[in-house]
Amino acid sequence: MTDPLALDPVLPPRERSERSARRWNEDLPHDERYEHFEAHVLGGGKIEPNDWMPDEYRSAVLRFVEMHANSELMGVLPEREWIMRAPTLRRKLALTSKVQDEVGHAQLLYRVAEDLGKPREAMFDDLLAGKTKFHNVFHYPTRTWADIGVIAWLVDAAAIVAQQALRDSSYGPYSRTMQKICWEESVHIMHGRDVVVTLANGTTAQREMLQEALDRWWGPLMQMHGPRSDRSKDRDLHWRIKARTSEELRQEFLTIYVPRILELGLTIPDPELAYDKAAGEWRYADPDWNELRTVVTNHGPKSQERLEFRRLNREATAWVRAAVLAEPKAAA
Amino acid sequence: MTATTIASALDAPTRTALAGFLLAMADDEFVIGFSDSEWTGIAPILEEDVAMSSIAQDELGHARALYELLAGLLDDGRDADALAYDREPEAYRHARLLDHGRGDWAMTIARRFLYDTADAARLASIGAGWPPLAELVAKIRREERYHAMHALAWVDRLARAGGEARARFVAALDELARDAPSVLATPGGEAALLEAGILGRSMAAAFDAWRSDVAGVLRPLMTPLALEPAADAARHRAAPSDDFRWLWGEFTSVRRSEPGATW
Amino acid sequence: MTDDLDQIARMLDEGAPVTPGEPPAGVLEPWEVFRQEKDGDAMRHGGNVLAPDAELALHYARELFGRRGESIRLWVVRRADIHVLEDLDLLQPPLDRSFKKPGGYVMRDKLAAARGRAGTSKPGARAASHDGTGRRSEGER
Repeated sequence: MTDPLALDPVLPPRERSERSARRWNEDLPHDERYEHFEAHVLGGGKIEPNDWMPDEYRSAVLRFVEMHANSELMGVLPEREWIMRAPTLRRKLALTSKVQDEVGHAQLLYRVAEDLGKPREAMFDDLLAGKTKFHNVFHYPTRTWADIGVIAWLVDAAAIVAQQALRDSSYGPYSRTMQKICWEESVHIMHGRDVVVTLANGTTAQREMLQEALDRWWGPLMQMHGPRSDRSKDRDLHWRIKARTSEELRQEFLTIYVPRILELGLTIPDPELAYDKAAGEWRYADPDWNELRTVVTNHGPKSQERLEFRRLNREATAWVRAAVLAEPKAAA
Repeated sequence: MTATTIASALDAPTRTALAGFLLAMADDEFVIGFSDSEWTGIAPILEEDVAMSSIAQDELGHARALYELLAGLLDDGRDADALAYDREPEAYRHARLLDHGRGDWAMTIARRFLYDTADAARLASIGAGWPPLAELVAKIRREERYHAMHALAWVDRLARAGGEARARFVAALDELARDAPSVLATPGGEAALLEAGILGRSMAAAFDAWRSDVAGVLRPLMTPLALEPAADAARHRAAPSDDFRWLWGEFTSVRRSEPGATW
Repeated sequence: MTDDLDQIARMLDEGAPVTPGEPPAGVLEPWEVFRQEKDGDAMRHGGNVLAPDAELALHYARELFGRRGESIRLWVVRRADIHVLEDLDLLQPPLDRSFKKPGGYVMRDKLAAARGRAGTSKPGARAASHDGTGRRSEGER
């Protein structure tokens, strides 16, 4: 038997490729640097904050991460209302911890965005002024305790499908942050599913509450990943800021979660929903893209109320930040 | 050995006194945990938000453990959740200090500081007489160290900040000073608890220790607070505040919507 | 005063985190967080927090990188205090340095020749190895 180590005893000179990897940081003409950058990114390489990057890449990553951070921050509000109403000690602890995690994720993501050059306060300004966006699902009301189960299970599941793909992002700090976030999110899904299964096993009123919540959340869930897009025209995909198209994400979500919803005896409010074996994909009623557009431009049922809540809260706590934080030193 | 079997070794007056003491401690932790959990998502700084939420979760965890002990002691079929949730507002035994609403950040820090220090003095008073409680208290004290560090870090910053921050903080301390000693009011049946070694010192002795703790922290920062021992009957309000009634209405709302259901 | 409080009050008095003479208010700036997951592990970079001083930076590091019990030790370092070397000419010099690595020594054929000459056979697999190649004797590949 051949000893594999005997075949190529001297380590291959992989140093060569790594050595050339950051050539764009050197004093090169812009076009050449750009070429090196592209080759590195398209070849699966990571970009770190101090690396040279084209302005278009920097702003694309910033826009993407900032919206993600905004969504975590605004996503706190619908669930937060139920922290005070959680019906057992364990649920109370789990929900508080889950919402705390969302705040923690907002912190991690704002830190990634801040290091790309936009201060946190400026990001809050833009969010509250409606200049930047947050995900559609956080513009809707939470009406019952069942919403808490459906959000933690299915909204988080839809999010984790997208976030798992982002662990491969070309922007190093973002991909590392997504690894940590995915680890924490997996607990939320367990918490949410546990709430849902408990309600499914509960009284008639509890089962009705659960079905009613699913009926309300299904539309926003199907819209959440966005309309089908043209892979070749998607710059975020080209630069591997994200790894998968919206339709790929939606299909994966349906594949994993439709059977798990149906096994509980729940009805999914889409008569067209079915797996097309021949095509190897799910068929479903076209999501209401007008609703998505309306909602993410801050015209959703709770958009203005939640933004106003954040504005008031920010004003009410400004004195605390002023007390512990000095103005940045002018010379620094 | 379960709390129930260990409790059977106690005589009836001691058991009654112990149950009252546990309920008061559990309700204190439950109410402050609920109040502080409301900061989750809206604290002044994102990093601080996560910290305050951890503290609230710790307190709720302590409440849960104390209610579980109490459930074992009472052995009347009620579990920790039933003890925590299924009472009328008048039946809660939290100290008057915790009957105030969440308030602003200064109020929250002032209350945390006064409560954490008083609670530390109370925990330090618990003896080895009832092992289930002594073992739990040893764990709780380890977690409370962080709470004290956190509260003191903020007391220092707010008091030294001057301006609006200091004014708000001093006003909050003044408002709470009247009710703060209620945490260490003498519990019913204290003599029996001391006799059984469940308490290693009286709450009056704990109060003296706490008063000098508070004075030691505040002396370099401001004029001392006037802290007077609470009258025995004054630990909790017979008629809970509107703030607590609101809190109670919230935390029981889902449970009351379908009584007896599993959640 | 209870022992714990006493200890904490002393920590505050001694003021290790806050430089004497500096007002408590600081600039919110990034602190890099390193964490050790279990005894014996290396400290690994976890991420970073914004904080006005080292004391709050440690509090926040505990929250963001330790609240699930995933760390047994944390370091925080002011980002401005980190000096970076990433010049590949210095770190990955281009010329041959295989003599610095175990894989740079190939003597299978030479060993076979030596054994042939000495009339010995290959030692058993239990012979010790210090070159990280498992149960193979040094350089024999």
